[in-house]
Amino acid sequence: MTVYESDLPGVGKKFEVELEDDSRLVIVTHNTGKREVFLKDDPDADGDKLFELSDRLARKVGTILEGAYFQPVQAEAVETMLTDDTYLEWYNVSDAADIAGQTLEEADVRNRTGVSIVAIQRGDDLISPPTPETVLQVDDTLVVIGEREECAEFETLLGDEV
Amino acid sequence: MATAESTALIDVGILFGAVAIAGLVANRINQSVIPFYILIGMLLSEYVVGRIDFPALLGTDAIPHGAELALADTDFVHVSAEIGIVLLLFFLGLEFNLDRLIASKERIGKAGAVDLAINFGAGLLLGYALFGSFLAAFLTAGIVYISSSAIITKSLIDLGWIANDESDALLGTLVFEDLFIAVYLAVATALVLGGGAVGEALGQIGVAVGFILVLLLLVYLGTAWFQRSLETDSHEFIVLRALGITVLLSGIALSIGVSEAVAAFFVGMAFSATEHVHDLENLLEPLRDAFAAIFFFWIGLSTDPSLFLGVAGLIAVAAVATTPTKLISGYLGGRLYDLSERRSVRVGLGMTTRGEFSLIIASLALSGAGTALPEPIAEDVYAFAVGYVLVMSIVGTTLMQYSSEIESVVVPRLEA
Repeated sequence: MTVYESDLPGVGKKFEVELEDDSRLVIVTHNTGKREVFLKDDPDADGDKLFELSDRLARKVGTILEGAYFQPVQAEAVETMLTDDTYLEWYNVSDAADIAGQTLEEADVRNRTGVSIVAIQRGDDLISPPTPETVLQVDDTLVVIGEREECAEFETLLGDEV
Repeated sequence: MATAESTALIDVGILFGAVAIAGLVANRINQSVIPFYILIGMLLSEYVVGRIDFPALLGTDAIPHGAELALADTDFVHVSAEIGIVLLLFFLGLEFNLDRLIASKERIGKAGAVDLAINFGAGLLLGYALFGSFLAAFLTAGIVYISSSAIITKSLIDLGWIANDESDALLGTLVFEDLFIAVYLAVATALVLGGGAVGEALGQIGVAVGFILVLLLLVYLGTAWFQRSLETDSHEFIVLRALGITVLLSGIALSIGVSEAVAAFFVGMAFSATEHVHDLENLLEPLRDAFAAIFFFWIGLSTDPSLFLGVAGLIAVAAVATTPTKLISGYLGGRLYDLSERRSVRVGLGMTTRGEFSLIIASLALSGAGTALPEPIAEDVYAFAVGYVLVMSIVGTTLMQYSSEIESVVVPRLEA
């Protein structure tokens, strides 16, 4: 992969990125910070403008593409890796979960699966850290730390398909 | 409203409002704003609105006679226009990175030299044929040579050509022109202020060259000082200090007979070596655009459209003669940049637009009326330049817009 860089006097800078299929991505960074992104089907073709972004938005999109930026959202199972094998995951407690209605002590999650529940998001409230008496409820979002297999184990405990 | 002092603020308000509306209209119909700023200035001048007798026309005194409605060429408008010129050239200098130029000097140099030889040469011949004097020919050569950086750059972005290979050739050639115009303006100002004849102007040229050498030395040695001068977190202070330095030095230059635009160019160059380039561009760009708009408006305001009648033939001849020269020089420049036939044709189409710098030369011609140039010739050159820019800015942007149609006809023949 080659990136061609050239100056555009009075406008800014242009970067041409060679893509795998001979096409090229052209990014024009204006002095104002605006980015324009074009796609050329081949090096000699005219650029088709794909989109433009403000400086701020471009930086955010850039870090997402890079994989360095992450905005936590409450979803079924969104995972982030802390180390190679340790995961920080979000799980929803559905109707199907056997542990719904049990206290943490009764559910005995740690001994059965190995994962730790470090926090519970319930509506607008955050229960952190949860105590052994905390009752798990349907629609809770559980923030869980554990190894990959342990997390998979925990997912079956919740009654979700793996 | 031309005379009463109490209406000065209203006049300025009308000026800005009119320019804003002209910009809106230009934007709506996808045209460059510069000709529209000129036209609205012309419309509100004593020559157009000022000549309309509303009471007689409408049979009512509700609207006063046009002469009372026309905007006058006040000190405010004139000085603002001057600041517009200064900021336009300051930005050129700011963009003028010597390292960058040296890095691609060969291609820029060759394409620029072809552009200069063909168009400046054609301009000299044309100017001498039209006006019959050396100074008028020299000014005409500048007017038809220099393409409009502002209009071309904006069209490149609007059309998406900025991502294509032709943008390098177009912008590279513009850089060469910009550097040339700085030198040219220095010489032309000296010729105009020195009385016209080359012999008499020699002293003036000496002063100009001396001043430029001092400025160059300042640019070369003063980077640390320029760097420190803007060392502040406050946007307000950066803008005020940059304006203080730039406008003051330009003013001093003008007071000793050197072009204020050239001084501004070198000040911009001095700042281009500092770390403040980005801040300056961001903070001063709106200011430049506002004052440049007043400059174009002022050009219109000082133009009597009826003078166009006298020079309409000259404008037509120049447009017909100098559209092909730019097409040819642009095409050759594109080939020197190793571009394909199709892209080289585009470079030619792109370079045809003339604009702001031709108008700066026009205002220079006017300032020499009665001294360096006989008044009728100065007025003819001025009216010619304004009319020529109006025509060429529209021709140029239109050629760019219809490039694909033109390419499909022209390129197969070139390749054959």
